[in-house]
Amino acid sequence: LEKQPPLTPAMFNVLLALADGEKHGYAILKDVGEQTGGEVQLSTGTLYGIIKRLLADGLISELRDRPAFENDDQRRRYYQLTEDGRSVAVAEAQRMEKLIARARSKRLIKAMKST
Amino acid sequence: MPYEPAAFSDRLYGAILRVLPFEFRKEFGSDMEQAFLEQRRDVERRSSFGSLLTMWWATIRDIFSMAPREHAMLLLHDSQYALRMMRKNAGYTFFAVVILGLGIGASTAMFSVVNAVMLKPLPYMQGNDLVLLNAQGRKAGIEALPFSPPEIKDYRERNHSLSALVESHSMMFTLFAKGNSQRVHAGVVSASYFDFFGIKPRLGRGFEASDERDGAPPVLLLSYEFWKEREGGDPSIVGKTFEMNDRPHVVIGVLPPIPQYPRENDIYMTTTSCPFRSSPRSVVDRNWRLMSVFGRLKPGVTLQHCGLDLSLIAARLERQYPDAYPHGLGYAMRTASLRDELVRGARPMLLLLLATASLVLLIACANVANLTQARMLRREKELTIRAALGAGSGRLLRQLVTENFILSLLAAVLGVALAFGGVRVLSVFMAHLTPRAREISIDPSVLLFSVVCAVVTAIVFGSIAALYSRNDLSASMREGASQTTLSRRRARLRSMLIVAQVAFSYVLLIGAGLTIRSFVHLQHVNPGFAPEQALAAGIDLNWSKYKTNAQIREVADRLLTSAQRQPGVVAAAVSSSYPLDPDALTMGAWKTSFQVYGAPALASEKLPITAVRAATPDYFRTLGIRILQGRAFNDSDRAESLPVAIVSKSIARHYWPRRNPIGQKVSVDGKNWITIAGVADDVKEFGLGEQAPDQIYVPMAAQPSVGSVLVRAVGDPSHLASEIRLAILAVDPQIAITRLQSLDQVRSDSVSAPRTVADLFGIFSALALIIAVTGLASMLALTVRQRTREIAIRMSLGASTSGVSRMVVGRGLLLVGSGAVAGLISSLVLTRFLSSLLFETSPTDVLTFVAITAVLLGTALFAAYIPARRAAGIDPQIALRSE
Repeated sequence: LEKQPPLTPAMFNVLLALADGEKHGYAILKDVGEQTGGEVQLSTGTLYGIIKRLLADGLISELRDRPAFENDDQRRRYYQLTEDGRSVAVAEAQRMEKLIARARSKRLIKAMKST
Repeated sequence: MPYEPAAFSDRLYGAILRVLPFEFRKEFGSDMEQAFLEQRRDVERRSSFGSLLTMWWATIRDIFSMAPREHAMLLLHDSQYALRMMRKNAGYTFFAVVILGLGIGASTAMFSVVNAVMLKPLPYMQGNDLVLLNAQGRKAGIEALPFSPPEIKDYRERNHSLSALVESHSMMFTLFAKGNSQRVHAGVVSASYFDFFGIKPRLGRGFEASDERDGAPPVLLLSYEFWKEREGGDPSIVGKTFEMNDRPHVVIGVLPPIPQYPRENDIYMTTTSCPFRSSPRSVVDRNWRLMSVFGRLKPGVTLQHCGLDLSLIAARLERQYPDAYPHGLGYAMRTASLRDELVRGARPMLLLLLATASLVLLIACANVANLTQARMLRREKELTIRAALGAGSGRLLRQLVTENFILSLLAAVLGVALAFGGVRVLSVFMAHLTPRAREISIDPSVLLFSVVCAVVTAIVFGSIAALYSRNDLSASMREGASQTTLSRRRARLRSMLIVAQVAFSYVLLIGAGLTIRSFVHLQHVNPGFAPEQALAAGIDLNWSKYKTNAQIREVADRLLTSAQRQPGVVAAAVSSSYPLDPDALTMGAWKTSFQVYGAPALASEKLPITAVRAATPDYFRTLGIRILQGRAFNDSDRAESLPVAIVSKSIARHYWPRRNPIGQKVSVDGKNWITIAGVADDVKEFGLGEQAPDQIYVPMAAQPSVGSVLVRAVGDPSHLASEIRLAILAVDPQIAITRLQSLDQVRSDSVSAPRTVADLFGIFSALALIIAVTGLASMLALTVRQRTREIAIRMSLGASTSGVSRMVVGRGLLLVGSGAVAGLISSLVLTRFLSSLLFETSPTDVLTFVAITAVLLGTALFAAYIPARRAAGIDPQIALRSE
């Protein structure tokens, strides 16, 4: 896991979107958009490029036994975080937390707020 | 969810997805379409038309920006896999790269020559607009008549098709500076000459119109090579004064390193600085012809139009000055593109050699296709497993194509490396064929050519193998699919490729055989003189020191005495030139028209032309030319005695076929008659492949003209070279020795062009033979391996080992035989294109065809022998048990 190449913000967002449960493609798009308040707008191309890479890296997997949602479309495919994926997401969040802490200790964030 | 037809926008999205790699679409395509459909509906339901457009724009931009990355990643993955597979099959990779590399190398090297010599524009400003004016005496059989100053003036003033017209000629002069003297080639040119070619001096200034005025102080431009080598690249050379032709000449500049045409000169001067060109006589004498003339086409004027324009001027001149242009001369003007003129002699050979090299590449392709096929057999299991694991046939096909491309590119790298090595050798070879040889180099267009070669190669050999694998893969996956049909089809394809290789090689071998045989014929031509043990020194006298006949006669006597005095010299002579003299071949020989006494020249008839040679008495003995009738010259043939001449056998046969030529009279000026004292054997003066010319020899004492010193030695004449050099310089240290060679060397040099063609043809065809024969051997080996079981059964049923060997060899010979028959038929059609290059050799020379067929069959027999022995060595028990 330590050798995992760094996550791009978009990849991290996809992992975050799957953190609270499996989702299909469009649900991930929507979740990322809503969670970031529209700041990160993924398109289908980038999304599936990321999904392909996360699948290959073993950070997410496709759900074999599909949940019996109501009004579900048979063509949808569902993805979920793997154990590795969860660890990577946690590690990334911790890394960011440390960065934020450092920025605070340098009063960078406060300074930014005051401007 | 109820069924609904796909909306237009969803179909459009599906279409856009096609820019993504097939594998990606296969994996995520429908999922993406689904996600997009939901996204679109959501936006349509909730937002404005503007947001819909924004979504579309973002989607399209997104897919187009990620597609190249996905393709690249796939290619990277394929390439990594390909390299892994190639490392695993190192032997196959090595052979394929070497064979294709040889083919690509041969083609690239030949293309570099064709590119430099025929395709690239001349290295002069708008070189394609430059024309060479070529005056001719058509009735007198004179192909190139130089121009006289009055003619140049006429053409310059009267033409309507040229924007500029410049002249040039070369002379040897002696240059003095600080007590040193050196002989130099001086180019005498119009002041606008270098502007005309677009050449700017590297140092100082170029010629200006004022430098060519009558009485202008003489100025010099130095060639780059002369400046570097003789003046040590002195940066302050401009302003230096040299003494030449009894006048001071000031250096005004240095030229850049450019290909000099029509010949390489050390220094350049304007026409008014040349004592000959500016002499009162030459300015008015229409017959004082010495100059080459070049023109630049006016914009929009075609070569044809220009030719017509100048021909009209020539016709008018002929009418206007009947004395200068006698009817028998047939004065005419030919206009040629300078670019074509420079490669006129080389074009057919170059195209032939390029075709030859391409054929080698084609053979290499066929060979590697076979290798690839054989490897596919071994990889069948791997490919089947991968197909079973879900790799589509398209995916596998692309994997194979990637492997082939990498293989071909590696081969191209090897080929370019070979071509780099070959180009130096080739430019030396090609210098015998064209003055543009020095421009041969590996430039970007040559590199592009080799890459194109590689790509085409990959497509040719790859598609054969890939097609085959695609068809077979599906078949072999159907369990128990008729394996026999399959292997039969494979064997047929492999056999066809072998037959093709053999056929192509056969054609090349025949071409090589014919050119080599023609060259051997040329080597065995009786030149009419005995070059063995003879040495020739080409010399040039300083004209300002030897102006009168008496002075020249005197120096000829001293040169002769000095040469005769050297130990080891059996005979010596001084003459105006000698047989196969390279300078006479390139710069033209001393030829003149002559009349036979008692055969009045009719005005309408052309006068016969003869080559003239002034020589001292021992000329014939020194060169080993037989005197057939009468006598050779002797010391009593002086200027004041009865003028005599010796004529060649061909003259005697032409003009006195049934009479004794001795005592007959001829004249070269129409006034003074010379009596024939002897008849000499015909000599191939101008080339071993040329007719011996009509030739008149005159005594040196009567018509002095010094151009060479010749000696016959007791042993190897090259040992005498330094003594002869000293002997000549002892007479006058200012005499320029332009060359010093044994006549054997001269003779060998005279056939260097056909030798070049024969050598290259030989190399290419040997390459082709080796490739084809190794291909045959490896294919037979594969056949034996595949048929081990069958052979073992045959042997256990009583087949003898020799019978088994015979079967394998017979199979090989059947293939080679079919290839040879195909090659024979193609050769009979194709060799006629060679006929212009062949000397006394028929394009269907039976001996060559028989010999080449024997070589081919012999080599094939040898190649088949190794796998045949392996087959005979099969132990049926072991072979059957291991199955």
